[in-house]
Amino acid sequence: MALKKSTDTTTLRPVEAREYPRDTDGLIAQLADADATVRRWAARDLAAHPRAAAVLCARLTDETDASVRSVIFSSAARLGGSVVVTSLLPLLRSEDPALRNGAIEVLAGQPDAVAPYIEKLLGDADGDVRIFTVNLLGDLKHPNVPQWLAQVLVNDVNVNVVGAALEVLAEVGTPASLPALRAAAKRFADDAYIGFAVDLAIGRIGVS
Amino acid sequence: MKAASVLAPPVISDADFQKFAEFFHRKTGIHFEPAKRYFVDKRLVERIQASGAENFRAWFVALRFETDGAEMQRLVNLMTVNETYFFREAYQFDCLVNNMLDEIAARKRPGSRIRIWSIPSSTGEEPYSIAIYLLERWAKIEQYDVEILSSDIDTAVLQAAQRGVYSARSVGQLPKPYLKKYFTPHGNDEWRISRDLVDAVEFSRVNLSDAADTRRFRDIDVIFCRNLLIYFDDLSRRVAAEAMFDALAPGGFMCLGHSESMSRMSSLYTMRRFPDALVYQRPL
Repeated sequence: MALKKSTDTTTLRPVEAREYPRDTDGLIAQLADADATVRRWAARDLAAHPRAAAVLCARLTDETDASVRSVIFSSAARLGGSVVVTSLLPLLRSEDPALRNGAIEVLAGQPDAVAPYIEKLLGDADGDVRIFTVNLLGDLKHPNVPQWLAQVLVNDVNVNVVGAALEVLAEVGTPASLPALRAAAKRFADDAYIGFAVDLAIGRIGVS
Repeated sequence: MKAASVLAPPVISDADFQKFAEFFHRKTGIHFEPAKRYFVDKRLVERIQASGAENFRAWFVALRFETDGAEMQRLVNLMTVNETYFFREAYQFDCLVNNMLDEIAARKRPGSRIRIWSIPSSTGEEPYSIAIYLLERWAKIEQYDVEILSSDIDTAVLQAAQRGVYSARSVGQLPKPYLKKYFTPHGNDEWRISRDLVDAVEFSRVNLSDAADTRRFRDIDVIFCRNLLIYFDDLSRRVAAEAMFDALAPGGFMCLGHSESMSRMSSLYTMRRFPDALVYQRPL
């Protein structure tokens, strides 16, 4: 048969002599290598090097290869913690949706480190940043999420931010969310979509 | 007082089911039609009671906000059927011999190597099914050296795979001529697979979440990774998808289980729609 069991060393490649040392500094140096495969492997291995968190995240805005970016985000998520969070929060202002969404995905996995920044983000002057913050809340596993969303419903003047919050509250809302939902319906009484979204959220919460 | 033991089971309303189904679909890609309502409700009630939650809402909120993913993992295990057998989801093996291998072979010279990786190997049904398919249904098998690698994190199943003894249920989907050709009766209602097939597969222990394990795998032409990643949390799934991306040769193919979607894990792959199956590909 032409099924061949590989007994030679080419099947499972042996560890090769490295052009760079695979310590933290060596791996950081490889993040700027011309070969995307080298950069991708460096980014992957840096997941075990907490000291590299800030440098790794900073690399995101310079990195042009989507596969390397993807691995950088994964390694940042595995590293986690406040350095990663503070390094990624500025990406909520990025014009690049891939960068923004990647950042939101990683931030959503860091509830305790992200929580101290939510109030400030929800008060940001830029409505888009507030919408992205609401998107982040949709995936953030933190017990304050319903309260933060209620705060949006009661205070935010931007109908798009409120609409985004309603979509999330339809899933995570509780009876405690009802006053804020009714407040949003009242504040945007002329907006048919908000009325529909409020009714949907109340229906999902299970109280008429 | 043991009030909990006499409480009526929690009720899953239509809205609860809808809310859960949307959440579970987003997290796992598994979609439950209303026809699956009984199956889903029964397991939801089981988890709500086991967790001690007062009702669906309390349980669902806890599920949404848990940080360790343990309850989600238990739920996934309950909601998926974890079994394997020869020629399971055979449409992808059809796709392998009808399309994928020909495309790969077209990029190689006759006599060169084609490498297939089956992970998880479980007790060996998948890698051996691949071997049988290649021998029986791929006309070019004699022109190439095909290596089949198969890995699992569980060393007990790897030993079972190398032992190669299977129940009648496990071989139940095999065409009878193949059963006769590659197996011999063993003990009471069991079948032992040919040693040639056992010897043709390279088994190894691999943890897909460990870069030290996966970095050894390179230049793979086809990966079968079916019904494994649904058991991973989102980040582990993505890390695994990225590791397999580097294990694949450019142009290599990735086959996931029928309920899994790469687009929910990683944007690195492109989707390829062949007549027999939808698979994913590392761009050339």
